[in-house]
Amino acid sequence: MNCKKVLIVDDEKGFTSMLKLNLESIGAFEVKVVNESKYALMTAKQFLPDVILLDIIMPEKEGPDVAIEIRNDPTLKNIPIVFLTATITRDEVQSQNGWIGGNIFVAKPSSLKELLASIESSIAVK
Amino acid sequence: MSKKIKKDYSRPLDVIVVEDNQVDARILESMLLDPPTIAKTLKIANTLSSAIKILEENEIEIAILDLNLPDSKGIDTIVEISKKFPKLTIVINTGAYEDELGLEALSLGAQDFLLKGKYNAYVLNKILRYCLERKRLEIELKQAYETLKDTQSQLIESEKMKVVGGLASGVAHEVKNPLATILYGVTYLIEQVKMDDDKYNLVLNNIKEATNRANGIITDLLDFASLNKMNRTKSNIVDVIEKSLSLVHYQISKNVIDIVKDYEVDLPLLMIDVNRIEQVFVNIFLNAIFSMEKNGKIGIRIHSSFIFDNKQALPSAAKDKFNPEQKLIIVEIDDVGKGIPENEISRIFDPFYTSRRGSGGVGLGLSVSKNIIENHGGSIVVENKADCGVIAKLIFIV
Ligand SMILES: Nc1ncnc2c1ncn2[C@@H]1O[C@H](COP(=O)(O)OP(=O)(O)OP(=O)(O)O)[C@@H](O)[C@H]1O
Ligand SMILES: [Mg+2]
Repeated sequence: MNCKKVLIVDDEKGFTSMLKLNLESIGAFEVKVVNESKYALMTAKQFLPDVILLDIIMPEKEGPDVAIEIRNDPTLKNIPIVFLTATITRDEVQSQNGWIGGNIFVAKPSSLKELLASIESSIAVK
Repeated sequence: MSKKIKKDYSRPLDVIVVEDNQVDARILESMLLDPPTIAKTLKIANTLSSAIKILEENEIEIAILDLNLPDSKGIDTIVEISKKFPKLTIVINTGAYEDELGLEALSLGAQDFLLKGKYNAYVLNKILRYCLERKRLEIELKQAYETLKDTQSQLIESEKMKVVGGLASGVAHEVKNPLATILYGVTYLIEQVKMDDDKYNLVLNNIKEATNRANGIITDLLDFASLNKMNRTKSNIVDVIEKSLSLVHYQISKNVIDIVKDYEVDLPLLMIDVNRIEQVFVNIFLNAIFSMEKNGKIGIRIHSSFIFDNKQALPSAAKDKFNPEQKLIIVEIDDVGKGIPENEISRIFDPFYTSRRGSGGVGLGLSVSKNIIENHGGSIVVENKADCGVIAKLIFIV
């Protein structure tokens, strides 16, 4: 089977481990977690994921800053990023069809189904 | 603030004398009209009802009022007149034995009282001028006070909003993260743990349900705080209302509620955020539905108006907010439910005020709605109807 590699960058440990469990149980994903955003770039370079799930509000380095680093890295710049965020509402996400400023957003919490759909569409677009 | 107005003591006045005693009326008439004339308009009425009619039809600034008339006695006379014509300056004309009555009249809105037989034209003129000036100041003061009160309550309102807004996005972030954890945890268990015991599934589904509900509340709060990000398009209000109705279709048919529509045709389009306005109507429909037993009725009336040509249609609270050239669309939604207790009605727009705490009410519906409508430059009023039930009036500017 063609396993997709997913990198989750989020400081909320409980959330990342639950998400990892769910994604792995589907059997179609290989998942790596980074809870400290300063290691995101380094881990991404080693892991070379197919998609990055990136939290926006994190201590030290915020999601958008991580995204900029990734976009500026020649080996990583084409990897789609799905932003996970607790500060916008699902309605706001939906009213923009999930796209805000060229990025895919998923509201937290969203059902696993919604998240999967976003992961799929981001990979498809790439 | 105080403008210097040149006092003109010879400006002729518009006066009504309300007096049933012919002799007293005649005396006043000659004082007012004989040169140097005090009055340029002088109307004379001998009953309260004829006085009211004259005041309604003429521009009169000051009334000289005998309190005991054939159709109204004593204090009632002044109460009636000052209630109907709050801007009118009133001077009481009393008989010598009515001293105390005169004093009481002052506390009820009269500016001064004259004792019959104890004044001449010169004194009368001076008293009338003083009274007019006092009344003018009184009105000014009242207006200043009202403005102050309004400004203060707006300030409190916007402070409250800021606090709620700031709180909302902070709380949202802190609460939504753990909620997401719980949700994915439960999702995992539901998928992975195939248990024969139905009780486990019940527990898991209850947790999931509760998590979604908590998320809903936080989302409402966030909506409340983030209204600046509106997405307005030119839309037909009728379509929006019909869409909202379809969203509550289930509750309407379950409770066998009759929907009575009265829509004006060819209404102008409105610049609105359709999703938000839908949210408002859904809230109002649900409130109406929850207030009624089975077989209730909801009326929906939509019409356009200028404040100008249809003052009656505008809720009093909204009257001063709009300018008379502004075309408005007014939506009225009424039910035949149990209504709102009068002592609670001032609180219904407060965040988290609800009388349905036990049955799923959060108390954000109306406060979010009000916020949304006001962000559109409109206004919303919710009142008890005279007979039974509640009417919500929403005013949009075109
Ligand atoms: N049509 C109505 N008839 C009777 N009471 C009403 C009506 N509309 C509002 N109310 C009263 O105002 C309260 C506040 O309404 P609001 O919509 O803000 O909150 P809610 O309906 O209780 O909860 P929710 O957040 O789910 O909307 C209600 O709980 C109810 O007591
Ligand atoms: Mg409600």
